Order: sequence, then C-alpha cells, then structure tokens
Amino acid sequence: MNTMRAYYDRYLPWALGIAFLFGLLVFPFYQRESPYWVYVGANALFYAILASSWALLAGYNGQFSFAHMAFMGLATYASGIVGREAGIWALNWSPALSIPFGVLVAGVVGLLIGYLCLRLRSTYLALFTIAFAEILRLVFKAEVDLTGGPNGLYLKTFNLPFLEGLTRYASTYAPMYYTMLAVFLFSLVVMYALVNSRYGIFFRAVREDEEAAAALGVHVVRVRILAFVVSSMIAGLAGAVFHHSPGIGIVVPDEMQIGRMSLVIAMAVIGGSNNLMAAAIGALFLHFALEWLQEIPMPDALMSWLQAHQATLEAWGFGLGEAGLKTNAWRMVAFGILLMVTLRFWRNGLVSPILERIMQARAKEEVARGRAAKAGKDLADVDKLVVDESPNEGGQ
Amino acid sequence: MVATLLHFVPAQMWLITPEFILRLLAEGLLIGLIYSLMALGLTLIFSVLGIVSFSHGEFYMIGGYVVYLFLQKFQNSLPRALTGIGALLAAMLVTFAIGVVFERLFLQPMARGEVDRPNEYAILTTFGLAFFLQYLMLGLMGPFPKKARRFFDLPVFDAGLIQATKASLKIGNITLGAGRLIAGLIALLALLAMLYFMFKTWTGRALQATSQDRQAAAVVGINPMNMNTLAFGLGAMLAGLAGAVLVSVYSWVPWVGVIASSKSFVIIVLGGMGSIPGSLLGGLIIGVVESLGTGLFPDPVRAQAYRDVFGLVIFALVLLVKPTGLFGRKL
Repeated sequence: MNTMRAYYDRYLPWALGIAFLFGLLVFPFYQRESPYWVYVGANALFYAILASSWALLAGYNGQFSFAHMAFMGLATYASGIVGREAGIWALNWSPALSIPFGVLVAGVVGLLIGYLCLRLRSTYLALFTIAFAEILRLVFKAEVDLTGGPNGLYLKTFNLPFLEGLTRYASTYAPMYYTMLAVFLFSLVVMYALVNSRYGIFFRAVREDEEAAAALGVHVVRVRILAFVVSSMIAGLAGAVFHHSPGIGIVVPDEMQIGRMSLVIAMAVIGGSNNLMAAAIGALFLHFALEWLQEIPMPDALMSWLQAHQATLEAWGFGLGEAGLKTNAWRMVAFGILLMVTLRFWRNGLVSPILERIMQARAKEEVARGRAAKAGKDLADVDKLVVDESPNEGGQ
Repeated sequence: MVATLLHFVPAQMWLITPEFILRLLAEGLLIGLIYSLMALGLTLIFSVLGIVSFSHGEFYMIGGYVVYLFLQKFQNSLPRALTGIGALLAAMLVTFAIGVVFERLFLQPMARGEVDRPNEYAILTTFGLAFFLQYLMLGLMGPFPKKARRFFDLPVFDAGLIQATKASLKIGNITLGAGRLIAGLIALLALLAMLYFMFKTWTGRALQATSQDRQAAAVVGINPMNMNTLAFGLGAMLAGLAGAVLVSVYSWVPWVGVIASSKSFVIIVLGGMGSIPGSLLGGLIIGVVESLGTGLFPDPVRAQAYRDVFGLVIFALVLLVKPTGLFGRKL
C-alpha cells in the first residue's frame, strides 16, 4: 500500500499535467461543431498568457504594473506599423519579421520603463504605470495617420499551411487556437525556466525585502529590470501573435484601456498571483465562465418583472434598455464581487492552493529522495520514507 | 527648414488673442477648482489611511449618476433650486455611505494588521471596488451617455462690463458657460467648507492628528479606526460632489471615472502625497495646463484627443524627477 501511495504522490502532478495538456490539444476537435467556442478558447489562452506573465511581475517580483496591456498593445502596434503596405513608415514586413520586431520594441520600452521605475515603490509604481498606459493609449488614438486612430490598425495575418489543414478536421478558428496554444506553452516554459533558476529566488527575495536581498549580494537593479523586460516581452509576444492570427487582423487602441488591464489583474488574482500556472488556469477558467455566463438568460420571473416595470424604471433614469436586460454587465458585477471576496479571504487565490496541495506531495517525495540519496540508501526505501514524512497520513 | 519651423507654429494663430488666453485661463481655473476638490478627497484618504484609493474615480461617477437620477425623478415636482440642492446632498450622502461601508468591510482588516502585504492588498481591493462599481452602473444605467440638465441658473443682470444671462456670463469680451461657472463656484464653496472643517473643528483636527501620528492621536482620545472610516467616507464624498457638479457639463458614461481618477492621481503626486495645500494648488495647475495646452496645441484636430495627455506627462515627470511633489513629506 505504501508503494502505491508513493507512486500516486510522485506521478499525480504529471498525470494531471498531461491530462490538462491533452485537453487543451483536443479541444478544437471536441468543439468542431461550434467555431465560436474555439475562438473563445484562443481568447482564453491569450488572457492566460497575459495573466501568468503579470503574475511573474507582480506575484514573484512584487512590481505592481498596470502597463501590461499597454506593452501588449505597443508590440502589436509596432509590428503592425512596420508591416503596413501603404501610408507613412510603411515597410511591408512580413509577420515573421514584424512580430519579433514588435516584441523587441516592447522589450526595449520595458527596459526603459523598468529603469525609470526603479526608485518607485508599490503605489507609486502603480500610479506611474497607469499614467504610461493611458498616455500610450491616447497617443495611439490621436495619431490617426500612423495608427489608424480609434478605428484601429489593420494587420497582415499570417498563414501557416501546416495548420490550415486542421480547419478541415477541426474548425475555422483551429489555426488561431493552436498558434496561441504554442505561444502559451512557450511562454510558460520560458517563465518556469526563469523562476526555477537562481533568478527566481532573487525575484522573491527582492519582493520580500529589497535591502536584505541587496545586503546578501543580489543585484536588485538587474533583477527588477529583468522581471519587467521579460514579462513585457511575453505580453508583447502574446498580443502581436494574437492580433496577427487569421481571424483577427485588427487592433484598436481601446484594447489597451485600464478596463481590460483590470480584467487581466482580476484573473491573475483570483487564480493566484504567486503561482504562474495558477494564474494561467484561473484566466482560462474565468474567461470561459464569463463567455458561458453571457449565454445564460436572466431568470424568467425577474425578466417579466423588469419588463412590466421597464417604463417606471426608465422614467427614473435607469437605462434598462435592451443592453441592460441581458446579463452582459451583471456577470462582470459578479466577477468584481468574486475578486474582492477572494482578495479578502483567500489572498493566494482560488486555484493556487489546490495546485500547491498537489505539488506538495511531490515535493515531499523529492525531499525523501534527496535524504535517501544522502544516506546512500537505494530507492526502494524511499517509499517508506515518504510515508514517514507525513505524520497525519502515516497510519495507512 | 522654414517649413519645419512652421510646423510648430499653431495653425489657428489668428485665434490667439489676449481674450482667448484669458478665457482659457478662466475655464482652466474653474475646472481646476473641481479637480482640487476631488484631489482633496484623495489626499485626505492618503494622509489618514496611508493608501491611494484606486476607486476614487468611481465615486465621482456614482455622484454624477445620483444627481442625474434625482433630477429625473424630482425635476417636475420640486422647485428648481431645491432640486439642485437636494441632488447634491443625495450624491454626497450616497457616496459617503458607500465609502463608509467599503472601508468597514475591506479596509479595516488591513488597518488592524490582519492582512499580509498590505500595500498590494490596498491597491487590489480598491481596484476591485472600482471594477465592481463600474459594471454595476453599466448594468443599472446602460452604456449610453446621459447628461443632466443644468440645475441652477445665473441671476440675469447687466452691469456694463459684466453681463449675465441664464446660461452664460460675459466679462468684457470673455464668455463663460453657466454650467462650468456654477460647477466651479460650488466646488469653491465646498473647498472652503472642507478647509474650515479640517482646520477649525475638533473632528477635522482629529483627522489631521491621526494622519500625523496614529499612536499619539490614540493617546489623546481619538479613535484612529473611526478616523479611518470617516476619512475614507469624506474622501469618497468629495469625489462624489465633484462628479455631481460636473454631470451637467459633461455627458456621463460608466467609465467616466477612469480619466477623472487619473487626474486626481496626477494632482496629489504633483502637490505632494497627503498635502492639503498641494492638492489645492495642484488642481488649479492641472486645470490651467490642460486648458492652455488644448487651446494652444498646434493641430486643433489632435488637441482634444491630447487633452488628457498633458496632465499625465506632467505626472510622469514629477514621479521621475521629484516624487515628493511640491509640498510632499518624504517618501
């Protein structure tokens, strides 16, 4: 029995991870009758990348940036502008060249902003990044010649022949979905590599106590800037690829507004901003939940009451027209309440504790394995040690 | 070379007369008074609670909507001036109540030290409130712009140099709209009342004492927790009042508070976090800079779009060059 338990603990995270990945991979085939949900899935992956890269910056490094969406938009606009066929600064670059260029621009501006913000503590940093994001959005809105203004900038979409074939078997949005999935996995790998390197420990050390970290020899400036640049570049990559994928092909300045940013922050916080994976899963689930809630009509009893009293309500000035009667806005109200309650009672988010519980078993097993290796014992004894490590479950 | 230089000369050069500049200045000062009122609320919250409320703009938005709803309901059944006063009082009451309830439920635990990483918590929880209130009002009021009618008229008179009609005031060649003028005057009255409260009454002094030293204030019999609640409620109320006077000038949508709150951030940082004179002066400066910047911008088409950028650029510069602002305490 002990052996079973140890194997279970050892392989549970792997099994769940593979199942999760498999689920993501087959999703467009499962939903091949409804392209809409595949489109929603691609959007959810986009938000998952943004939420997890924001978690890298805010959760791991303690830098509260509200400019994440702005970097996303900056990279998209930069790649869109050099990729244009006509107009000023039109270079007609192909997406294969313009997307890396956009990501690079986001990285360079991230470097500048990160450097400028070095002296600013949490609240001031939040204020500064809000100002930066708003300036960028308003400039993109005003410079009509360069960016297309409020109507948006049209982008050249990329075509990936080997993914195009999927549309026959899955659905129209499958190429877009798989591109976003590839970017999602790539950025998670990059971020986990960073977090598990010594820099990951530096990130958290700087978050907890900057002076103490500096005293112990951590190069605080380099660590803070690195976190800023990496997370801005990942946000930029997500934005540029998402907006260049077939099925989108346009970017509007209002995607950079604070409202969108607050959605990303809310997703990361509800998932758990101290854990990259938790933030990503939180974003996936919440995006699907929000889309699903849009489909749910208001209860009949309430609807008929509203319709009966609509004239009275409108005389009072309430705008319960067509838009108000649907649940469009109300799902976000619920989302806001969920955000505040999560913050108040579950500071580590809702997904993160579950993930930690799963990973804990594995960590326990690794500790035991390390001890066994030190003691020169062979691995057969590890199983016994694992059970000894947990007094609560030891009796089984 | 000449062409390049000409690019920087305002296109509407012929419009720039002393009267034009004076009108811009006067409008800037009037709007600046309202900005000051809002920033005073934010600065009050910062000085007592030690946090920046990211939901300040949403109280401004709620204040405007309360006035709008109040006028919709009562404008035909009550005399005009009474409706106006009632609407303002209702806006103040509602925003004060929301502020107090929110502070008791979400910020008191932080002040009691029950929350880890309080700085992050303060940012996120006020941000969450902003998110909630925005979508709540979107659900209740719908996404279409609303505009309230002007609720006070100017007295009609003609004194040669100064002429007034119901809807506008003319001083020399400068014409000011009544909406802005009345909004500015109400803001001025509210500012004076608030200053009287802060410096002359026991409660106001208790607030100041709490902001200077919580322990010492507690020793002389001030309850710092109650002062926290009062400060947040009053701060929210001032933002609500600013929105209430402006709802008849601008059209109102649920996300109108975003720009308003970023303006009050600009002002409190420019004036120095937690400084009352700083927020008053900062508000006037930002109002005038915006007004002049928009009026004198070379390209009139872009000028309106850049209106909000001027303040934000000042903001970024202050944060980078002198984060303590004009009258700030040390960071």
